[in-house]
Amino acid sequence: MSQRKVLQGNIIVAKAALAAGCDFFAGYPITPSSEIAQYMSKEMPKMERTFIQMEDEIASLGACIGASLAGRKTLTATSGPGFSLMQEHVGMAVMAEVPVVIVNVMRGGPSTGMPTKPAQADMMQARWGTHGDHPIIALYPAFSDEIFSETVRAFNLAEKYWNPVILLLDEVLGKAHMDVEIPEPGSYEVYWEKTHEIKDLNIYDRNLGENPPRIDFFHGYPIHIDSLEHDAHGWPSFDAKTVDKMQKLRMQKIYQNLDDIIRYKEYFMDDAEVMVFSFGISARSALAAVKTAREQGIKAGLFQALTIWPFPRAALQERFKKTRKVLTVEMNMGQMKYEVERVAPCGVEKQTLLRANGMPFAPAEVLDAIKEFAK
Amino acid sequence: MKKYEIRYGAVGGQGIITAGALLVDIAVEMEDKFAIESPTYTAAVRGGPTKVDVIIADEKIDFPHATAIDFFLCTDQRPYDIYKQSLKDDAIVVLDSHLVRELGDTRHWKVYQVPIINETKVGAGNVVLTSVVSLAVTQKLTNIITYEHMLAHIKHWAPKGTVDMNIKAIEVGMNLIK
Repeated sequence: MSQRKVLQGNIIVAKAALAAGCDFFAGYPITPSSEIAQYMSKEMPKMERTFIQMEDEIASLGACIGASLAGRKTLTATSGPGFSLMQEHVGMAVMAEVPVVIVNVMRGGPSTGMPTKPAQADMMQARWGTHGDHPIIALYPAFSDEIFSETVRAFNLAEKYWNPVILLLDEVLGKAHMDVEIPEPGSYEVYWEKTHEIKDLNIYDRNLGENPPRIDFFHGYPIHIDSLEHDAHGWPSFDAKTVDKMQKLRMQKIYQNLDDIIRYKEYFMDDAEVMVFSFGISARSALAAVKTAREQGIKAGLFQALTIWPFPRAALQERFKKTRKVLTVEMNMGQMKYEVERVAPCGVEKQTLLRANGMPFAPAEVLDAIKEFAK
Repeated sequence: MKKYEIRYGAVGGQGIITAGALLVDIAVEMEDKFAIESPTYTAAVRGGPTKVDVIIADEKIDFPHATAIDFFLCTDQRPYDIYKQSLKDDAIVVLDSHLVRELGDTRHWKVYQVPIINETKVGAGNVVLTSVVSLAVTQKLTNIITYEHMLAHIKHWAPKGTVDMNIKAIEVGMNLIK
């Protein structure tokens, strides 16, 4: 039996992380994410798992990377300003291929911005916040059951693909208390990569599309983990052929597995003439608006992206074969709309509903935009 | 009931986040409804105007903020001025009679002016009990949860040594509305 209870969104994240096997948390509290650290600080010691409050966000992610290499499933939680500080270590985790889950409960920015107000303006930061070409996975739940399932999935994907996974959450939902069904353990997948004993020192050597194995480092071998570009041994190498190979290995482990990584939900899309593309809290407004539009005879539908990065390109392209109008609704000045524009073929009409003043869109506002667009 | 929308307005520290959380707990865990409580507050949460929206429904809730409010309880002028928008025409409105003095146009609402904060201090003995007093007022005027469930939940929820004063707060709330 699953349990139906009331939990704050941030606490659902924390509980899901523990359910996914998270046994190491390092973080620095920041509104509106602090309850995650607070809950972990109380619960993890009871479970003989590790909680550390670090001196800042850079150190927090650094600690997670170290613990992850030592075999832990690691989590840190922050908001925009802290996520900015973490970016150099996001790159380190990508480069050294280290699994780690980073929760960003987004607030109004830039800079310290609006700590208690929601925004969906870190979408591009999640993709390109760290420098250099790199693959990234970012998930974005909207409903209480998704907050649980996507948090568990974030750990699974980090563990499977040896890459940082970013979980985006809205201030509104992080702070809200809501009904949620916590599924029974065993009813959802918790992925554990088997630990391999080292056979040779070529720890990064593998075929394109494969993940590096989780290695038990503690057998006296001289293993080198480096943020510099490296060869199969992990030693620094700027040899063009080697660099080319390593770049492709890191990219293809993600891009050859899109079916496993990309998840989205479609509502009323079968015969939709107007598609709303949205995510997080804005998708909840949009869903309410789409339902009302349907009652009024307007053929509207919703495409809710749960995986933001990699972008659900193929699924959207499939929809654009039939639906020729797309309305992107997001709480920023225009970020994911550019991705939608890149995917939408010629002839698809594109419209946006954008705002970044700390006020979520009310369903009536989305409905007005749908009606205007449907004309 | 398909969907019922409640808004609490106060200044930070008056207990409305707790009131909303209690209401959602009872609605979900004792009455098997769907519910969400979303607080909106400023950086000056202590002493700043605060609102808490609670939606209780028979089905999954899409948008978590109130947009057509059935019941509004407010204990300070500033949040009253800011957050009285989005009330339905027949909304029930409960205002602290000492702390909300400039009402404006209330023709379309059913208004109760009662000394919530003062009665909490005098009758229940401690202003921190405003949360439970507000909950009881909500129960009496809306019946959105049952009295029995409210009483049972408060007895279970109240920290050790505070059960009696919380029960007293329920009485104060019930007696505020004649």
